[in-house]
Amino acid sequence: MKTYLLACFTVLFACCYVGGAFADHHETAEMTMLQFPESYKAMSVSNGGTISGVVKFEGDVPEMKMLEITKDQAVCGATEKFDETLVVGEGNALKNTIVYLMDISQGKDFDKAAKLEMDQKGCQFNPHVQIVPVGVRVTMLNNDRVNHNVHIFSSVNKPVNKQQTKNRRKMPLAGVKKAEGPVSVKCDIHGWMSAWIAYVPHPYFAVTNEMGEFTLENVPPGTYKLGYWHEACGTNNESPAAVTVEAGGTVKQDFTLMLKKNVAESGKHN
Amino acid sequence: MIRIQQILPNTKITHLILFLAIIPVLQFADAQNVPQASEEGKRVYEKSCAHCHGTEGRGDGSAAENLLPKPRDFTRGLYKIRSTEAGELPTDQDLLDIITKGMPGSSMPGWETALSANERREVVAYIKTFHDGFKEQESPPRQISLAGKIAYSEESVEIGKGLYTELGCIECHGNIGRGDGTSAPTLTDEWGFQTWPANLAQSWNFRGGSDTEDIFKRFIGGLAGSPMPAFEGDSFLNFGLTSAESKRLTELENRDEMTAAEEEESGQYYEKMDAAVNIALNIAEGTELSAEEQQTYTEAMKVVYEKSWHLANYVKSLAPEKRPEPAIGNNVLRSQYVTDALPAKTDAAWDTLESSHFPLVAQVIIEPRQFNPTIDSVNVKSFYNDTEVAFLFTWDDRTHTTAEEDEETGNILEDALAIQFPVKIPQGPTAPKPYFLWGGRLPVYLWQWKASAPDQVTELTAKGINNAEAQAVQSDIQAEGSYTNGQYTLWVKRALKTDDKKDLQLEPGVFVPIAFSAWDGANGDINTKRVISSWYAFVLEPVPSSKRFIYPPLVALLSVGLLLGLRGFVQRRNS
Repeated sequence: MKTYLLACFTVLFACCYVGGAFADHHETAEMTMLQFPESYKAMSVSNGGTISGVVKFEGDVPEMKMLEITKDQAVCGATEKFDETLVVGEGNALKNTIVYLMDISQGKDFDKAAKLEMDQKGCQFNPHVQIVPVGVRVTMLNNDRVNHNVHIFSSVNKPVNKQQTKNRRKMPLAGVKKAEGPVSVKCDIHGWMSAWIAYVPHPYFAVTNEMGEFTLENVPPGTYKLGYWHEACGTNNESPAAVTVEAGGTVKQDFTLMLKKNVAESGKHN
Repeated sequence: MIRIQQILPNTKITHLILFLAIIPVLQFADAQNVPQASEEGKRVYEKSCAHCHGTEGRGDGSAAENLLPKPRDFTRGLYKIRSTEAGELPTDQDLLDIITKGMPGSSMPGWETALSANERREVVAYIKTFHDGFKEQESPPRQISLAGKIAYSEESVEIGKGLYTELGCIECHGNIGRGDGTSAPTLTDEWGFQTWPANLAQSWNFRGGSDTEDIFKRFIGGLAGSPMPAFEGDSFLNFGLTSAESKRLTELENRDEMTAAEEEESGQYYEKMDAAVNIALNIAEGTELSAEEQQTYTEAMKVVYEKSWHLANYVKSLAPEKRPEPAIGNNVLRSQYVTDALPAKTDAAWDTLESSHFPLVAQVIIEPRQFNPTIDSVNVKSFYNDTEVAFLFTWDDRTHTTAEEDEETGNILEDALAIQFPVKIPQGPTAPKPYFLWGGRLPVYLWQWKASAPDQVTELTAKGINNAEAQAVQSDIQAEGSYTNGQYTLWVKRALKTDDKKDLQLEPGVFVPIAFSAWDGANGDINTKRVISSWYAFVLEPVPSSKRFIYPPLVALLSVGLLLGLRGFVQRRNS
């Protein structure tokens, strides 16, 4: 017993004395997160304008990494799956970029009829980036007939970690209290599953499609900061684009994004 | 001389005496007396806690890099071991208990002796300053009620066993709880660090204690920051249904096809569930409930609590009450004599023996070291006969790694075990043994087993941890290894005596030093990076000699004869 205890202490001491700085992995929230207005008032908007555009990727497009399916092969491994961190389509169109108004304080209300769902089909989240209004429930779908674990890594709101057992086809999640995000969504059971949810206080958020396109409709006339967020390419929080919307008009604003570290190196923003 | 009465009036003295009398009470009082954060708390924290948890409480102290599980980052307010419901902060008492008792199976020691009760309370107050949530708390955190505890019984364990599968515990904790589930190797915590699911068969490593109540609290409250979800109403299996309804629904769902009537029946269950879930979500969102809704919710939660007690009883059934005593003193490994052939690996004869328990610790003496061991111990049984000895080694390992390339180093990793003996048995208890880390000046004799060749043991001679060589002449050693449900079983058989001078020669009744090394490939173990034991001992339990049937009666006869002779002698002399 004595030897055992002695060995335990040795371990402890050794651990205590081995130095080595711990890499600082905390990035400042201001740089990586969406920016929200201090308050937002919903009202009826008539003769609003439209902001639309295309987000493109600049740089060598890395080959999409095939996900390694380590379990539940019959369901999860039925089709090939790819890491969706960076999805670049034809003409370098960049999918899954959030484009939004940073500083709008009043405008249209949320579309109450919109169905907010996130599927886990074949052990992959769909969509990869989901916009969820504050206070609104998002329903997790599971038609896989395997167990999933919905783990949402919120820090402003309470983190979510809920088992969605194989027979539970629909699992609604409680609406959150504060705007936050985007926060990472994972499934602990299938470690490769990854998605993002942004809890937002106003409806002027869009996620780019396969063609890299986005549209923000019914924007009250005025000048706004137009921001973007992309999982691999970061944000333009330091220098958002200024757009002026005219009544009934359409304003175009395109973005060209690079991988995060390239952006940092060149100091170049769109 | 100044008398105390001269300074203080009598009433004040009474007060003083009363005050002095309650000091000890205050000393041992619980966390209700946790003070406001003070300089003293900061001082104690920086002296005793900051090395691992960091001066700003971010879990990034200088020692953190080498620890797994990582020291907690206090800034997020996520605490695993709590008596409070899911999503709540811990109570002061929860924090005090962890500081006092430590967290078994992690690097967090108990501070009961190193810090005074007062210092520990000061530290609790100081730790709370790292997370604003404590300040913003409007009401005390909701405590988990233990009122409806279901006593341990075979029936309860059986129900719990069913739930273990239904709830998906198997995914991480494995078929029978050894932490070997198929999701185990890919788990990460809130901070992105690797984390292993608990081996439920080793209750002594449960971070928050292994009482049924402790286990129950982990279910209801969840282990915040880890992948372990809380059993919350809105996400619990078939929430809102009674146990009978839930069972029926699962039965219906597992059918390939349902009749129209069955479709309707299951539809009704779904409506009931949806209603209950809706109430639970309303609570989470802060909506007021009607009395009727409150009633529905209470009833639904009662089922969650009942099922959690059954599951806690099942988990309790998977492990011994506490860690087995190590194989020293009365528990020393004694190889049992059999007259016939030694039992094969799967022979039921092995079940008649008690295991000897050899705890293993991380090798932190020689580089590269292992700071975060995943193998806890090895258990051993042994039989011998007139010519051979057989051992059965079992040890838990969450992953079965036979040959896997380490992405960082390119090393080929695999699971392995080595059993170490001296080449020459030291004569007497004070005679020097070889250095416990694979020998030195005095060599050691080793049996090396690897998961990639499970039916083979190689004999090595070593004069140091980095100085081992396979013997040129390999004795005839039979071996058979297997991996099932998170546990390795290795059977080894060898002759008691060999012709090789580099081999260990065995004789009944002689205590032989024995030690172990084990490698978990999935944990990056290779070469010196491993878990080890120091020297233990084992003995071939001597056969009770057949002479015991001859000598005692002989002695008795002789004694009687002597007595009779003496009596005769005395009688003759007296007459």
